[in-house]
Amino acid sequence: MQKDIFAQVDLPRVYRRRQLVNSVMLGLTGLFLVLAIIPLIWITVYVIIKGGHYINLDFFIHLPRPMGTSGGGVLQAIEGSFVMVIIASVIAIPPALLAAFYLVTAPNTPLATAVRFSTDLLAGIPSIVIGLFIYAIVVVTQKHYSALAGGIALSTIMLPVIIRSAEEMLKLVPRELREGALALGSPEWKAALRVMLPAAAEGILTGIMLSIARATGETAPLLFTALGNDNYEIGNMIRQGVRHHQSVLAILGQILDQPADALPLTLWKYAQQPYPERVQQAWAVALVLLLFVLTLNILARFWLSHRRRQLGE
Amino acid sequence: MRRVLLLSLIIIAMLLAACGGPAPAKPTTAAQSTGGKVVMLTGAGATFPLPVYTEWIQMYKSVQPNVTLNYQGIGSGGGQKAILDGTVDFAGSDSLLKESQYQKMPDLQMLPMLAGAVVPIFNVPGVHQLIIDGPTLVNIYMAKITKWNDPAIAKFNPNVSLPDKPIVVAHRSDGSGTTEIFTSYLGAVSQAWKDNIGVGKAVEWPADKKGQGVGGKGNPGVAQAVQSTPYSIGYVELAYAKANKIAFADMINAAGNQVTADAATMKDAMAAFANAFDKRLTTKIVNAKGTQSWPIMGYTYLVIHMQKNSDCNKTKALLNYIQWAISDQAAAQKAADLGYATLPASVRNLVTAKLHEVKCNGKIVLP
Repeated sequence: MQKDIFAQVDLPRVYRRRQLVNSVMLGLTGLFLVLAIIPLIWITVYVIIKGGHYINLDFFIHLPRPMGTSGGGVLQAIEGSFVMVIIASVIAIPPALLAAFYLVTAPNTPLATAVRFSTDLLAGIPSIVIGLFIYAIVVVTQKHYSALAGGIALSTIMLPVIIRSAEEMLKLVPRELREGALALGSPEWKAALRVMLPAAAEGILTGIMLSIARATGETAPLLFTALGNDNYEIGNMIRQGVRHHQSVLAILGQILDQPADALPLTLWKYAQQPYPERVQQAWAVALVLLLFVLTLNILARFWLSHRRRQLGE
Repeated sequence: MRRVLLLSLIIIAMLLAACGGPAPAKPTTAAQSTGGKVVMLTGAGATFPLPVYTEWIQMYKSVQPNVTLNYQGIGSGGGQKAILDGTVDFAGSDSLLKESQYQKMPDLQMLPMLAGAVVPIFNVPGVHQLIIDGPTLVNIYMAKITKWNDPAIAKFNPNVSLPDKPIVVAHRSDGSGTTEIFTSYLGAVSQAWKDNIGVGKAVEWPADKKGQGVGGKGNPGVAQAVQSTPYSIGYVELAYAKANKIAFADMINAAGNQVTADAATMKDAMAAFANAFDKRLTTKIVNAKGTQSWPIMGYTYLVIHMQKNSDCNKTKALLNYIQWAISDQAAAQKAADLGYATLPASVRNLVTAKLHEVKCNGKIVLP
């Protein structure tokens, strides 16, 4: 019987056809893979070519020089970005972690569904709208732009990113760990803090890093909140404070209370200046920003995949 | 847990490095020479005067080390909104406040600070100089003159061989003060333009409807469009054209003279309109009648409060700065270098008089 069936089919031809289809499809997927990563490589290479030339030490340690002159740096933007991301982290991380714990501990309650839903909605709100919202409730009430307002706006961006990633990471922690802790008589908060959190710490940190990368690259929420400030230099503020015998709290207040610059904000402003020197600096800022965000992303992904493998997923 | 600790330690270390690192590299900073308390003033608005304002602020650091100004270019509309919301100490604006805005805040005052010119730029292979007059410019933008060798253009350029090619008309695609100045001029020259196309930050360009128009975002966008499109014409700010060494056309002004855009012709136009200011201290300065006037110009203004009830030292610092900016020789020179025109003496006096009327807690701030 078998022999008969095979006799009717031209086996080599069928194989050739399958091989042909296989290699064509493989080639196509390969081609589209390359197409998909071309933009990233193109952007990176282009920004390196355009901006790499203008990066030097001065770029990182000096304030901007007047327009139309070369030299000077973007220290104010680096410091401003740094301060605002720290403010945003301080505001966003604790509630985000608590929310994530809730989502894992009581995953199917109506409140959890509501939180998950609104988190997704929050993540989808255009960042310029968040900026306008913070402008209305913080800047207008305070009557001035500030690093604090910028930090609050960024924290709103970071919040959903951290909640969702922390939830994913906490879900990966074997249920037995938590149940074991509870069975041994540990209260719920202790099980969360001493058992679940350490077990998921690396994954959560990864999520936080990704959210920081996201916040660092945002321009829109800062336009109406941080405004921008060419003189934002923490070292100066501290020295002035010390000279006037101000308290640490007063100096800290100044750092938070002034309008502040940020890297993407500076990039956006410089790129539309008439002066070629400014546009060149914009490319350099773009490069710094790109490298920072890429590094943070790559580190985080690397860490994450490592962690996932450890947990046996 | 240990890693969390380590990370926070790293963050603290970075923070310290950020604070302490640059200290030795910056020997001269604000407030170094004085023991007085630092006054910080925030302003935002028009991007058009941003290069000059940034420069002035930098210069003012050595004049008044304990006054720190921060001006950010967020657009005229943004600046007007900011001062109405009370989030800035002063605003910059190229466009005039509306009556409804004055009603909301009756003590707002516009102060002319600088004027800037808009220049026609062109890209005609083989042509390096071009002279054009207002009516011709209107007809080009109306898409009534469509060829470079049109007699209306050739009339002013007898020694130039103009090609028999269609004219591509470049304009701003975004709403812009530059477009407002440019269309104000076209409207001042031609009633038909005023009636049919109108004057404003963005208009419907007739050339677009005929497929002969091209838009660009910002000055760079228009310059780029003109430079990459042969046989095109466009308009940009003089300051932009100067900074990027873009050739621009000469104009025949209202008095019938050929003028090129520079400090002298701008000053002439401003002088021609010195008595045209309304009670809000604003005026248009297009199509000036002066013999040497550059015809396409506009003022840029600062917006300040005339009455304050708190922070009188801030108000005083701001008024002193404005007074310095409009009267200091070096400041004026800087503005001229960048392609802007400073106020003629008569306008300066108007502004100074206004500055001396500002009250804080019911008292004149600058007696």
